[in-house]
Amino acid sequence: MNVIQQQAPLIELVDVHKSFGATEVLKGVSMSIRRGETACIIGPSGSGKSTLLRCLNGLIGVDRGTIRVGSFNVEKMRRDRDLVPLRHEVSMVFQQYNLFPHRTVMENIVMAPVQVLGQPRDEVKKRAAELLARVRLTGKENAYPAQLSGGQQQRVAIARALAMQPAVILFDEVTAALDPEMVSEVLAVIRDLSRDGMTCVLVTHEMRFAEEVADLVFFTDRGTIVESGAPAELFHAPRDPRLASFLGKVLSRTAA
Amino acid sequence: MSAMKPETRAFVYGISGVPVLLFVAMLACYGRGTGEALGLLADRSGILLTGAPGFRGFGGGFSANVLMSVAAIVVSVATGALLCIGTIANMRLIRLISLGVVNLLRNTPWLIALYAMLYLLPFYVPVFGTVIPFSPFVKAVVGLSLPVTANVAEVLRGGVDAIPSGQWETARALGYRKGQILRYVVIPQAVPLIIPNMMTVFATLFIGSSLAVVTGTSDVLSVANTITASDGSQYATAVQLYVLLLFFLFAFPIATLARRLERQIREKS
Repeated sequence: MNVIQQQAPLIELVDVHKSFGATEVLKGVSMSIRRGETACIIGPSGSGKSTLLRCLNGLIGVDRGTIRVGSFNVEKMRRDRDLVPLRHEVSMVFQQYNLFPHRTVMENIVMAPVQVLGQPRDEVKKRAAELLARVRLTGKENAYPAQLSGGQQQRVAIARALAMQPAVILFDEVTAALDPEMVSEVLAVIRDLSRDGMTCVLVTHEMRFAEEVADLVFFTDRGTIVESGAPAELFHAPRDPRLASFLGKVLSRTAA
Repeated sequence: MSAMKPETRAFVYGISGVPVLLFVAMLACYGRGTGEALGLLADRSGILLTGAPGFRGFGGGFSANVLMSVAAIVVSVATGALLCIGTIANMRLIRLISLGVVNLLRNTPWLIALYAMLYLLPFYVPVFGTVIPFSPFVKAVVGLSLPVTANVAEVLRGGVDAIPSGQWETARALGYRKGQILRYVVIPQAVPLIIPNMMTVFATLFIGSSLAVVTGTSDVLSVANTITASDGSQYATAVQLYVLLLFFLFAFPIATLARRLERQIREKS
């Protein structure tokens, strides 16, 4: 990764196409995100946001176009074995937390670095304890996921993603399944990460949060990026009528 | 009684009630001759249980049923696991073949599988000069294992399918490969779901081992038939009721344990 200059984008997509059967989900998406930036992808449901996110770490293979993350040409990586180093660089946090229910909080965090990356367990455990402190869950090491609230589980999931020591973290609507009072505790953790210079890509419906933390916002609709730019422009001076109408709908809903 | 777990109560009722029922059936059939019939059963218990008078060896009778069931469990768990892996393999061809085999075996009547073994398997196989005999016992084990293999594969696949797809996706995102996901994430979660169903399959297999009589092995039914032939057909009912009791006493605890595990899993989730 050192060979990449600080100025060159860390993530670069060019004309990415993806279909599921007859449904074309991504119709030529191009975007670039620099190291240390926080990018938010917003848009109506079914616009391809989550698919786009999953293309970045190779969970979904693309039909056409190129995806570069750091030194990896993601679109060329098809075998699970080849994807391991990419997954080391790019972590992901999911809407449904997806903690492993048969393992304790500590084990959830430690598992992948030990079993996948082959790192020494003691070292990873020390790191995991620091990460738990960072997501404000010290003392929950031996709890099982089912004993935690949704917000706590999601923070463990973030710690688990961080334990891979990634260069990028992808967040897929991570607050959408949470009760309202737990949303802020999860957003606070993401805000800290973003301020600390972690490259974050978020698919989110939290418009105010996106406006606050994002360096860059992408608005997707029907498989394309309709508009992108700094949050101030995008949220306050939308050029595209579809974006304007989308913002009108979601912001009035939040206000109500 | 009220403090007992529901299946403990069912077990107590069953394990005491069924023998009483069978005894009542004996009384109904034999009337005043019941004592005599029971005497005969006591006399023949050795041969019915072990295939030899005086409880010598395990080669025949009811112990042969137990042995062949255990052997068939070992075989079918191994082959069933392979078949299950085949049905979730990445390669479409392997998946299709495995699914075809599962469906063929699952829909094969057990009796037909056993007859097929009788006629299809040779009596012995020469391997590098030594002759390996295929005894009726081996044929019975193979014949019982065939349909059970398919059931085991289905139970395993059901357990694996019950794990939400999010677990797979998350594990993949963490860099796990398919085999590792099965080993570290899916199977540990699936095992508690699989065990009760697996035990039900085993209990069914155990009961089904009575069909092995057609392979000519000296299982409990063939011993029972011999006894009836030598001691007189008036004792046929008594002998058959006794065999029924043996199967019940063996299979019922397994079924009860399966039900209990199932309830524990339900309560945990």
